[in-house]
Amino acid sequence: MSAAAPELSVGAASASPLPESDAVAPPLTAVQLVRTFGVQRAVDGVSFTLQSGRFLSLFGPNGAGKSTLLRLLSGALRPTSGELRLGEEPLRTREPGWQHRIGVLSHQTFLYGHLTARENLRFFADLYDLDRVDERIDSGLAAVDLSGRGDDQVRTYSRGMRQRLALARTLLHDPDVVLLDEPFTGLDAHASAVLRGVLGALRDGRRTVVMVTHNLSEGLEMADIAAIQVRGRLAFWQEAAGLEGSSFLALYRETVEASA
Amino acid sequence: MTYLRQLRAVIRKDLIQELRTKQRLATMGGFAVLVGVLFNYAIDQTMVAAQDIASGLIWMTLVFAGIMGVGRTFELEAEDGAFQGVLLSPIPRDALYLGKVTSNFLLVYLVVLLVLGVFGLFFQLQYGNHPFMLLAVLAAGALGFVALATLFGAVSSGTALGETLLPILVFPLLVPMVIYGASATSRLLAGRPIAEVEGNLRMLAAFALVALIAGAGLFRFVVED
Repeated sequence: MSAAAPELSVGAASASPLPESDAVAPPLTAVQLVRTFGVQRAVDGVSFTLQSGRFLSLFGPNGAGKSTLLRLLSGALRPTSGELRLGEEPLRTREPGWQHRIGVLSHQTFLYGHLTARENLRFFADLYDLDRVDERIDSGLAAVDLSGRGDDQVRTYSRGMRQRLALARTLLHDPDVVLLDEPFTGLDAHASAVLRGVLGALRDGRRTVVMVTHNLSEGLEMADIAAIQVRGRLAFWQEAAGLEGSSFLALYRETVEASA
Repeated sequence: MTYLRQLRAVIRKDLIQELRTKQRLATMGGFAVLVGVLFNYAIDQTMVAAQDIASGLIWMTLVFAGIMGVGRTFELEAEDGAFQGVLLSPIPRDALYLGKVTSNFLLVYLVVLLVLGVFGLFFQLQYGNHPFMLLAVLAAGALGFVALATLFGAVSSGTALGETLLPILVFPLLVPMVIYGASATSRLLAGRPIAEVEGNLRMLAAFALVALIAGAGLFRFVVED
């Protein structure tokens, strides 16, 4: 079974570089999600519903369980209890159907250093059984401004270039749900700008995005919804439209202190 | 078709990686040559005929060199979380396992051929009357070994002990295979008829098949949460 071919526009990062499709994913719902490691509850009864096409920025102090929550959503971890749903259907995150629908960008790039950028993308295209591979690779590299370095081994890349290539890998199979774990960590200004351009284009109304970040202003700028996780629990969940940087910083501190 | 494409992608990726880094081939090949050189000086060939002990040396080298090479499989995968990316993809875990077994087998078998060459050079080893049968016996042995070592390599890579744990887990399970393999190799090197080793070859093939089926079935429980 081959996944449907996305249409990719080749060009600068700002020129809508993302796959386009009319399909809209059903809402993503977590119900009393719990994940424990020994006696520690990294995720402690998290419940939410995220409508399709929305961009959620998830903030929180170190050790709050944000990355664990993201790993539960991706299927990399099984919940100790609780349930994930896509629409009305319980989500079986280990099934190929779900793995085709999610893309994960972490602070680790999931790339092989001794393979070239093209070889890395081709490898993942084969794992996802994608069609029009060359076209997807060309478009993906152009979208993250790496067309000129596609035949270089990834170990020769800077941190920023690796992260941009990781973003191309994340979007290669045109996922409905994109999970981003601290995507801006360690990036220089250029890499941040390219990444911001591509992430901005993810807000196309059909793709659901969950981004974990410590950068309040960057996260808030992109978000439809801002949430704060403290000690495994969602302590704050609100539409981002009415939130401003300085007032949100005060709100963030207040929320973290109140929940600590 | 999808399955084969995914399987091929894993094999190709592993081999490209190895051709560029040469980490495992250099380690395994270096060990094989070192064994040849050391035993060349350690054995008084006027007292002990190399032909008589070659079988044991070949299998010892196969197992120890193989452990060094296969044990590093998942260390290479850990680079920048790459294996996590693979596990997030829809590749069936048995395809992933069989792909890694195939690429490991190709590397280990290359070292087996090197061992035969090195022993031929240092000990003037005669390969018997049925060299292709000898290659088949070693291929079956290498496949069984790799099938087990790849599975347990994944187990040990997830522990604090890492590669140190691998031989402890694998060696006891290899005993039957080494007994049948070394016995068949010894007879073939002595120029005995094929009929004398057919039973051993069947046992080796059965061992490899069981190890492959068990590995393919269990791999997902080892690599997933």
